[in-house]
Amino acid sequence: MKILVTDDSRVMRQIVIRTLRQAGYDDHDIVEAVDGRDAFEKVGSEKPDLVLSDWNMPEMSGIECLEALRAAGSQVAFGFVTSEGSPEMREKAANAGALFLIAKPFNEDTFKDALDGVIA
Amino acid sequence: MTLQEAQPITALLDPETVQSIADEIWPTLVGDGEAFVPVPVAPPAEVVSAWVTITGPWNGAVVLTCAPATAGALAESVLMTRPPTVVDDEDVADALGELANVLGGNIKSVLPGPSSLGLPQIGSAPATGRLDDVCRVNGQWRGQSLTITVQGATEALHPSGTEVPQ
Repeated sequence: MKILVTDDSRVMRQIVIRTLRQAGYDDHDIVEAVDGRDAFEKVGSEKPDLVLSDWNMPEMSGIECLEALRAAGSQVAFGFVTSEGSPEMREKAANAGALFLIAKPFNEDTFKDALDGVIA
Repeated sequence: MTLQEAQPITALLDPETVQSIADEIWPTLVGDGEAFVPVPVAPPAEVVSAWVTITGPWNGAVVLTCAPATAGALAESVLMTRPPTVVDDEDVADALGELANVLGGNIKSVLPGPSSLGLPQIGSAPATGRLDDVCRVNGQWRGQSLTITVQGATEALHPSGTEVPQ
């Protein structure tokens, strides 16, 4: 399985990748994107099975990326990893087609709860 | 709603809530067993700040301030670097900005909404405005001064083009 980790913070991408490993998802291919636009393009070029994306990013936000992907016909599995998890954002994410929203701070248990069933 | 009509932060948030949010963030983001301790120590001569803005019924910023050396140590802890690996300035700014970002996101979630969060910024902390629109926790991490300030907006706080609508 290939996972596309999207965050404008290199530090946070490293933390997400580390947490994936700690949660036991250590035998998957990881690719990275630096913002929503980069993620949109890499869904086309890298063909990931899952996108883990920050919400608030320059160029194109995570929710704009998800909406653009669905508008373009992509049904790639998509989940948010973001610094806020208000009910409004969770509803907006779900309505746009996201499978889950992980709020920061998170740990490996948070990842397992969200990803079990999504990652084979 | 205008800024004048909005409630000041002291009516919306108390230092205990800020501390409880920091209590969740430090062990998960900074590292196992790490803590932001709400006991002030002498402020450093030179400081650096990272902050995110909150725009909504309450307008302001969540600011994290410490000495540059403390920011470097925080980045090393967040990234779990071990010698001889060293963090560069970009990593330090990134790590401090992400800490401010996660603090800001969690503080935003306990404030009246809907509101949006700006992207992390680094530098000299924005000026504070009204005294009753500041909620500050002076504390320490590994014995070094660290301050979390939730402060109301002044005109200079919102340069155009820094906010990403959600």
